[in-house]
Amino acid sequence: MIRPEEIKMSAEHVGKWGMVIDQDICTGCQACVAACAMENNISFVGEKDSGYGRSMHWIRIERFWEGEYPEVKMTPNQPMLCQQCNSATCEPVCPAFATVHSQAEQLNLQIYNRCVGTRYCGNNCPYQVRSFNWRDYERPEPLSNQLNPDVTVRRMGVMEKCTFCIQRIHKAQDKAKAEGREVVDGEFTTACAQACPASAITFGRVDDPESLVSQLAQRGHGLKHLEELGTLPNVTYFKGG
Amino acid sequence: MSDKFSRRDFLKLAGVGAASTAILTGCGPASRYVTREPYMLMPEYNYNGQSTFYATTCRECAAGCGLVVRTSQGRAIKTEGNANHPLNLGKTCARGQATLHGLYNPDRVTDPIKRTRGNAAGTTVTWDDATQTVADALKNYKPEEIAFLMGTTSDHLFDLLTDLSAQTGINSPVRFGALSMFEARATLSKAAENLFGEAGMPLFDVGGAQVVFSFGANFLETWLSPVSYTRGFAGLREAQSKKRGTFIQFESRMSSTAGKADEWLPLRPGTEALVVLAIGRLASELRGGPLPRAFADVDPADAASKSGIKLETLEHLAEMFANSTGALAIPGGTALGQSNGLAVAEAVLALNAIADNFGKPGGVFFSALAPNQTEYQRSASVKEMQEFVQKMADGKFKVLFVHGVNPVFELPASSDFKNALKSVEQVISFATFPDETALEADYVFPDHHALESWGYQRVVTGSAQPVLSGSQPVVSPFYNTRATVDVLIAAAQLAGGKFAEALPFKDEVEFLQSKVASLMSETDGFFAAPDINTFMAYFQQYGGWWKTTDARTIPNTADVLNRNLVGAEAEFAGEGEFFFVPFVSPTLAEAGANKPWLQELPDPTTTVMWNTWVEINPETAHELGLEDDDVVKITSEAGVLEVPVYRYPAIRPDTIAIPFGQGYTAYGQYAANRGVNPADLLGQHFNEAGDLAFAGMKVKIEKTGKKQPLSRLESIMGVYGVGLGEEH
Amino acid sequence: MIKRFFDWLKQPLGLIAVGIAVLTLFSIAAYGLYTTQQPPEQPIQFPHKTHVAFGIQCLYCHPGAARGPAAGIPTQAKCWGCHNQIVKTQTSLLLAPLKEAVESGTPIEWVPVAQVPDFVQFNHRAHIAAGQNCENCHGDMTKVNIAENPQVFNMGWCLDCHVKNAGEDHVKLVKLTDCGTCHY
Repeated sequence: MIRPEEIKMSAEHVGKWGMVIDQDICTGCQACVAACAMENNISFVGEKDSGYGRSMHWIRIERFWEGEYPEVKMTPNQPMLCQQCNSATCEPVCPAFATVHSQAEQLNLQIYNRCVGTRYCGNNCPYQVRSFNWRDYERPEPLSNQLNPDVTVRRMGVMEKCTFCIQRIHKAQDKAKAEGREVVDGEFTTACAQACPASAITFGRVDDPESLVSQLAQRGHGLKHLEELGTLPNVTYFKGG
Repeated sequence: MSDKFSRRDFLKLAGVGAASTAILTGCGPASRYVTREPYMLMPEYNYNGQSTFYATTCRECAAGCGLVVRTSQGRAIKTEGNANHPLNLGKTCARGQATLHGLYNPDRVTDPIKRTRGNAAGTTVTWDDATQTVADALKNYKPEEIAFLMGTTSDHLFDLLTDLSAQTGINSPVRFGALSMFEARATLSKAAENLFGEAGMPLFDVGGAQVVFSFGANFLETWLSPVSYTRGFAGLREAQSKKRGTFIQFESRMSSTAGKADEWLPLRPGTEALVVLAIGRLASELRGGPLPRAFADVDPADAASKSGIKLETLEHLAEMFANSTGALAIPGGTALGQSNGLAVAEAVLALNAIADNFGKPGGVFFSALAPNQTEYQRSASVKEMQEFVQKMADGKFKVLFVHGVNPVFELPASSDFKNALKSVEQVISFATFPDETALEADYVFPDHHALESWGYQRVVTGSAQPVLSGSQPVVSPFYNTRATVDVLIAAAQLAGGKFAEALPFKDEVEFLQSKVASLMSETDGFFAAPDINTFMAYFQQYGGWWKTTDARTIPNTADVLNRNLVGAEAEFAGEGEFFFVPFVSPTLAEAGANKPWLQELPDPTTTVMWNTWVEINPETAHELGLEDDDVVKITSEAGVLEVPVYRYPAIRPDTIAIPFGQGYTAYGQYAANRGVNPADLLGQHFNEAGDLAFAGMKVKIEKTGKKQPLSRLESIMGVYGVGLGEEH
Repeated sequence: MIKRFFDWLKQPLGLIAVGIAVLTLFSIAAYGLYTTQQPPEQPIQFPHKTHVAFGIQCLYCHPGAARGPAAGIPTQAKCWGCHNQIVKTQTSLLLAPLKEAVESGTPIEWVPVAQVPDFVQFNHRAHIAAGQNCENCHGDMTKVNIAENPQVFNMGWCLDCHVKNAGEDHVKLVKLTDCGTCHY
C-alpha cells in the first residue's frame, strides 16, 4: 500500500504529460474538436441541449472580442481543454473519489464507474472544461460502428472530460514494453494534436527536458492559465503576436 | 429492540435493499448474454483487438488530402492524415475527421431504388435491374441527349466519363460544386490566363512570405486546399529562420481567416479593385522608377474615400508592401464574386508584380499539373451551369446522370435547376445520401461512401509536387451499394457496341490500373514498380503516387504591369440598403450538414451550432431595434429568407452576412429542415469570367417580431436561460 | 404517517412481513448471483477439454491474447481448417451447426464467457508478458466442456493479484493500483 509519506505533496509534483499550444497559429478551424469527438466517443447532444450549454466538447476553442467596430479585434483563438493540473481543484471535492489523480501518469482521472454525478468537480473547475451527461444521448444506428473500442462509452449521470488520450498513452507504453524499449518522444500524440493542420498543439513528456514539448515550453513568454489559483496546470499557451 | 425504529436500523434495511438491487440490476444475467459474431473473413494480417490502418483519400472536398483510416474488426474507427502525403502531411480538417459520420450515417441510401419524383418512398430494385436501366438509358437515346453532371471529387469517374464521351459522342461530363462557386475558381484561372497567357490554378506560397495581403480569400477555412494553406499560415507566423510574418485581410466581414489577421480592413464591398490598384500605385511610387501602366489610372485619395479606408492607412499598407522582402497578395472569395471580380483578381495578381515574387519562395506560382493530366481543368462556373440548365429546360437532355453533387441545393434557387429537371425524361442519381436532387430523380443507384470506394483524386493545388491521391476501400460496403464506375462498366457491356468498346474493363480496379499504368515508367516518382500489380500494391499502401520533384511552374509575367487595369466599382443588384455577403460555413462547407458532429462544432467566429444566423453589426441592430435571436426577414430581388440575428461586432454596419451550408429540405435527419440557404437570395448576375456575383446583392431587412434562440458555445449560461442573448 | 408504518412494522406480524421481504430479496439476489456463475447457452456445445487433450495450445485459437487486448474468438475458418479433415464432422450432431455455418457462410454467434464491464480496459498482452498463464484466470480447461468462469471478475479480485504481484516494488505498485490503468 502507498504510505502517506510516499506521496509527495502534489504542489511539488512535476507533471508527466503536458501540452504546448501556440495560439498565434491556431486558426480556430475546429479540427481538434472533431478529432477529439471521434477518438473519444463523445456524444453529440443536439441543438436544444447545446443551447442549454450541455454540449460535450472536451476541447473547445475560445475567442473573445476586443474593442468596437471598426477597431474590433478577435483575440487569438484559445483551445481550452482539461489542463491536467498537478494540484487540481476538481479532485478534492469529489465525494465518490471518481475524480482522482493518477500517481502513475500524473493526470486527472475521471473514473466513470465511480462517478455518481454530483457535478461538484465541474462546478469547481476554474477552466470549465468538464462536461456532464445530462441524458443518454441518442446515437442512431449504425453510428455506433464508429465507436473507439479503447474508450468507455459514458452514460447518463456521468461527468467526463479530456483524458490527454490516456488510451493512446497506454497503447504506446504497452507497445514499447512489448518491444523492450522506452516510449520515444513523438511516437504518439493526442487526437487533437495529430489532427491540427497548423500544428499548433504539441504533446509530450514535460518531465523530460529533451522532449519537444519541454523545448517549446522553454521558449519564453509562455502562459499557464489561472496559474495564480495554484492549480499547476500542465498546458502552456503562447499568445504570440 | 427499542420502541423507536432507529435511524441506524433504517439504514441497515436500506442497505440490504440497495445491495440486492445492485446485484439484480448491475450484475444480473441480462447484461451477460451478449453475442459476438467473429469476423467472418478476417484478412490474414488482422488480429483480434488489433487495429489495421489503410491509406485512402478524403472526399469531403476536392482538395484531395491523404487519409489513414484506423479500422478495427472491419469497422472504420478513426481517420487521421496520411503523414507521407505531400499535400496534408498527416493533418486533417474537421470535415476529414467527421467523414466517418458520413460512412455510418443513419440516413444513407441503402439499396438501389426507383421512385416517382419528389416522393421520398421508393421501391427497391435489384442491381441487375439497375444496370439494365443504365444500359437502356445509354442505348435508347441519342448520344447528345445524354448528360452527366458530377461533383468535384472522384476524378477517376470523371476520367471514365471523359473517355466514354470521347468514344461514344455523349456529352462530356460537367462538374460543379458549391465550394468552387464560392471560391470563384473560374475567375481566378481566367485572371491568370489574361495576365500570364496561360490558364492554371495559381499557388500562393503563404508559408514563405513575409507580408500577406489577402483580398477576401478565406484560405484558412474552405478555400481551395485549406489544410495545406493552414500549414502555410503556420509557416508565415513561426518560421525559425525569419521573423514573424504579417497578415492583412481586406473584406467587409471578419471571417475566421480575417480573425487571424494582424489587421482587418473592412472596406466597402465593391471597392476592392480600387483599393488594390491604389496600394499598387502607392507602392510603385515608393519603389521609384516609372509608374507602371497597370496602376497609372487610379487616384488613391478617391479610392480611400470610396472604400472607407483612410488614405494614411493605404499609404502605410503600401509602404509595408513595398518595403517587405517577401510580399504576397492573394485574391479570393467574396472579392471575386462580384460584377467586377475578374478585374479584382487581375489587379491582385498584378500587385504581386510589384513585389516581384513570381516563382520565388513566398510568391506566386502555377500549381503543378497532377500526374496523368495534360491541362488544367476546372469545374463549371455558374454561368456554364446556367447553359446546362437551359439545355435541360429546353428538352435537349433526355437522360441526366448525377453523381457527387446536389445541384438542387448547391445552385442558387434562381437557377431553377429543380424545374429544369422536369423537362428531362429520365434522371438517374448515384447519390450516397438522400439529397434533394436524388429526391427529384427517377432512380437512385447509390454509390459507395468514399471510405468504401476505389478511385483517385488529382491534387489541383496546395502541393509543390504533382500528386495523384489514391483511394481504396477501408471497410467492405455497409449497405447494398455499388461503385458507380462498376455500374457504368457493366451497363456499357450490356449496351454493347461502341459503349462496350469504350469501356472494355472487367471492373473498377482494372480501369484504375489502366489509368495509373503510365506512371510506372516515370523516373521521378516517389516509388517505382516493375509491374502493375506491384505498382498498385504500393499505390494502395502509400495512398497514391507523387513525384519527388517540385513541379510548380513560374508564370510568364513579362506583360503584367503594362496592361490597363480597370478600377471601377462593382455593381450591385437589388434595392435594399445592405450589402449581402454569403460565406461558406468553415465547419460544414457544402455537404457537411448531415454529419451530426459537424453540426455540433461551433462556428469559429460566432460559436453558433446547429443553425443558420445572419450577422449584423451591433450598431445597426440597435438602430433597427434588433436583439440577438430576433428573426428578421431578408429580401433580395431573387428571394426571401427568415433567419435569426446574431449581433456580430466585426462586420461593416452596411453589410450583413449569412453562412452557406444549412437549409436542406432533404439530406437526412441532421440536415433536413434546419437553418436556411443563403443561395436562395442570389440572383443570376455574373462577373466577366462567368462566376456568380454572389457577393453582389443588396438586400432589405425587416423585423418579424419572432424569436428563435441560437445555440451558442460562447454563452456558458445557455441561451434559453436567464440573460438570454446578453453575452458577447 | 411514516411513524405509524414503522409502528406497524414492530408488531409481530410486521416483523414477519419484514422477514419475508428480506428473505425474498435475498433469494432473488442469490439466484441472480447463481445465474451469473452458470456457463451460458452456446450455439455449439464446444468441448474445451477435448481440444486441450489433443494438445492444442490456447493461443492457437485465441492468438490475440499474446499480442493485444482481446484474445478473440476464432473464426469458423479456423475451426474448419482442422474439422474439414475430420470425418466425424460430417456426421456428428453436435458439429452440425459448424458445418451449417461454414456452408452457408453465416457467422456463429458465440456468447462470451469471460467478460469485464465496458468501463474496464483490459489488456491480455500485459498479463501474459507478466508470466500469467491462461488458467490462472480462466480456470483449468482440461476439466470443462463449455468454458465457465471460475471466479467473478470484480475489482477486488483484480487488485488482490495486482498488489500481490507488485510486492515491494513501489513504482510497480503505483502503476498496478492506479485507477487510470484500467478505467478510461
